[in-house]
Amino acid sequence: MPVLRAERLVKRFGGLAAVDGVDLAVEEGEILGVIGPNGAGKTTLFALMAGSLAPTSGRVWLDGRQVSGLSAHRVVAAGIARTHQIVRPFRNLTVLENVTVAALRGAARTGSHPRALAEEVVAFVGLADRAADHPGTLTLAGRKRVELARALATGPRVLLLDEVIAGLNPAEAQRLAGLVREIRDQRGVTVVMIEHVMAAVMALSDRVAVLDYGRKIAEGSPAEVVRDPHVVEAYLGSGAAAEVHP
Amino acid sequence: MTGGRRRPLPAWFSGRVAAGLAVAVVVLAVLPVALDPYTHNLLTLTFLAISGALAWNWMGGYLGQVSFGHAAFFGFGGFVAARVLLHESIPPWVAWAAGAAAAGLFSVGAYPILRLRGPYFSIATIGLGEASRIVFTYLEGFTGGASGLSLPIDPDLKARLYWWALGLLALVAAASHLIRRSTLGLELLAIKSDVEAAADAGVPTALRQDVVLALSAAVAGATGGLSASFFAFVEPNDLFGFDRSISFVLMAVIGGVGSVFGPVLGAVVFVALRQWLVASYPQLYLGLYGGLLILIILFEPLGLTGVALRVARRFGYRARPDLALGSSAARPGRPASEAR
Amino acid sequence: MQRLVDLAVSAVLLAGLYAAMAYGLGLVYGVLRVVNLAHAGVIMAGAYAGWVLHRALGLDPYLSLPLVVAGSFVLGVGVYVLLVRHLPRGAAGGPQSLLLLFGVWLVLRNVAYLLFTGDDHVIRTGYSTRAVPFLGTWLPVNRLAVFGIAVAVPLALHLLLRHTYAGRAIRAVAQNADSCTLVGIDVERVYALTFGLGTALAGLAGLLSATLFSFNPAFGSSELLKSFVVVVLGGLGSIAGTGVAALILASVEAYSILVLPAYLTSAVGFVMLVVVLVLRPGGLFGQRVLG
Repeated sequence: MPVLRAERLVKRFGGLAAVDGVDLAVEEGEILGVIGPNGAGKTTLFALMAGSLAPTSGRVWLDGRQVSGLSAHRVVAAGIARTHQIVRPFRNLTVLENVTVAALRGAARTGSHPRALAEEVVAFVGLADRAADHPGTLTLAGRKRVELARALATGPRVLLLDEVIAGLNPAEAQRLAGLVREIRDQRGVTVVMIEHVMAAVMALSDRVAVLDYGRKIAEGSPAEVVRDPHVVEAYLGSGAAAEVHP
Repeated sequence: MTGGRRRPLPAWFSGRVAAGLAVAVVVLAVLPVALDPYTHNLLTLTFLAISGALAWNWMGGYLGQVSFGHAAFFGFGGFVAARVLLHESIPPWVAWAAGAAAAGLFSVGAYPILRLRGPYFSIATIGLGEASRIVFTYLEGFTGGASGLSLPIDPDLKARLYWWALGLLALVAAASHLIRRSTLGLELLAIKSDVEAAADAGVPTALRQDVVLALSAAVAGATGGLSASFFAFVEPNDLFGFDRSISFVLMAVIGGVGSVFGPVLGAVVFVALRQWLVASYPQLYLGLYGGLLILIILFEPLGLTGVALRVARRFGYRARPDLALGSSAARPGRPASEAR
Repeated sequence: MQRLVDLAVSAVLLAGLYAAMAYGLGLVYGVLRVVNLAHAGVIMAGAYAGWVLHRALGLDPYLSLPLVVAGSFVLGVGVYVLLVRHLPRGAAGGPQSLLLLFGVWLVLRNVAYLLFTGDDHVIRTGYSTRAVPFLGTWLPVNRLAVFGIAVAVPLALHLLLRHTYAGRAIRAVAQNADSCTLVGIDVERVYALTFGLGTALAGLAGLLSATLFSFNPAFGSSELLKSFVVVVLGGLGSIAGTGVAALILASVEAYSILVLPAYLTSAVGFVMLVVVLVLRPGGLFGQRVLG
């Protein structure tokens, strides 16, 4: 049974369907990449799965339990955590405190002490030396790590990462990509990641789903998806697909 | 952890603060032997004001939800207590407790408004205060209408209110510290910073806000009840009045919105200021309050706490930059020579 | 039945006033993201200004309109330039802006108390009591005039916003202030202008109200609430939405007389506020309004 399943998810804003009937099944322990042109509805999809937005119709299941319609904090309690495309650290708290807030959930799940869990997660993402600083003093890479640590500290089954790698220089991107893999490998967390940085998506993902205009237009291994004419057309416009040789 | 069998103290316990609080309480408790009745009573009112300011700050400072209508809770608690006090056989503290509980429940009952964010919340509280005043003035059976209710006068009780008010203050001050330093305080600050991100991090934001508001309202209600006993008279336009609501705001702002104990200073200053104004320039009080608000917001948003921090920095003490605004792990200033 | 018609007509006429009041508040909120609590104070100031001009100079309120509106505009620009401008970035909508403008409101109230004492006043002109027949009822001339002006001015403003450079600049700043600096729009001037326009409308609404209702220095707080109801219900920038929302509010108020004792109808605005804020959790800009 897939650990996370979205069934015919739809989200309309006024007349516009940002997400228009998306089915998604995420297997436990995999890293699923979600790509698509700008405005394809990827972030909205994440918001629906994480409870930040209520779906117009459709459902979301976590380990067979319905989580759609639950408020965001309940979805977190159930086991789905997300990061934001534009990072939103708590500016009035230190890095460690940022993560501790989230660790209150995670610790409840594992029976450990929130502070200890927070310290462990902060160390895991490589911010141990900046734990007492405020996110405002960190670089973007640092703030992305804070965001990541915060999501991780809630002890999720599934982690939804929204463009964690975009905007970083190659060295930072490499390190963060490595971190994502470690999250899956060492902590056993299933990862779904939206990403524009193709190299990262190809390298990290076990499978990739492609969205365009709110619909899933392709799904498969990274190599398959990249050659899919529909995908090429979505990114490069019609006519380009004809030039792709399988 | 250490190898010893003693459990470590919880993060929220600070020996320094506990000691300071204990000393202050003892000193204040013993003080009346040296006081004339006027000052004695003034202090009683000051203690009540401080409690109210601290409680307001839980909403306005910790959560960032500015309430312009706290008089609604003060008044409701005050009137419930007053009605109980009319029955002289019931001990006063029962009346005050009833007032507190009633005010807390009142805030819970008003939850549709009170779960709003930011400016929506603030405007709703303006409405709540005004509507309460109008409605309760109308409910003459309960409040005595514009003529109010006279309560049995008990000079002995009035003098003893000093210690009751001090006790309440000690409780509220301790709670202020506890809330801030606990995980609840951390969550409140997170909510204050970014409520949606807080929810995404698993914080049950609505519930937290409800709880803090209920506590804040209960304390306001308790001060309303004690105030009713003090004056032995309650009247809706006074208890639910706009001026009353303004006083909560002003006390906290003067002292330092968001700081833990700033409102203590703010309340003391406010009470003194009000005494002086009533004596010297009674017709200027609104303008002065308004002017104070403007000046403080523009020049030192943290009020007296901000000023104190600046002075402390001059003397080489590096308080954490967000000491007043933020962290529950705030530690007192360290010498500036310490490397960061 | 006639009573119902009377109330409906009454509601329509009043809705115009509410729309004018709300439009100013909404404009400032939409562009600066600041809830102008001093809006209440300026409404009150407008009422007094009109009254003073009428008392001292015998100036008919509809003639003193341009003066009062201009004065309110200047007041608004002054408040912005001297005070609001100095708020730190990102403080918009936050506790600091609320407290600052609340302080301004208090000062305005005190000035009114000092100048005019707390007594109730109203502007009565020679034609205040005249009425014209309509649908079996009598329409008070002053209510008609208020309606006409209250509808015309925001409408005119709305057209200005659509078709002038300044108007487009304002709308641009409302959408994305940072980008505006990149295209050469002086954002600070736009802010000052908008704030002034908002207060000008408040002053206008105050003056018009003074011809209908009695007022005192405490006047303005329930008007603020009602403006807010209209803004939230009607949406920002939508003149039609503002109109409809104002109509709904005025109708609820009017018909509440049938069920509530007169004294309580002033609390209706607050109840409407609760209902509106709870039922429209999308709030403005789609932000979450609920905690």
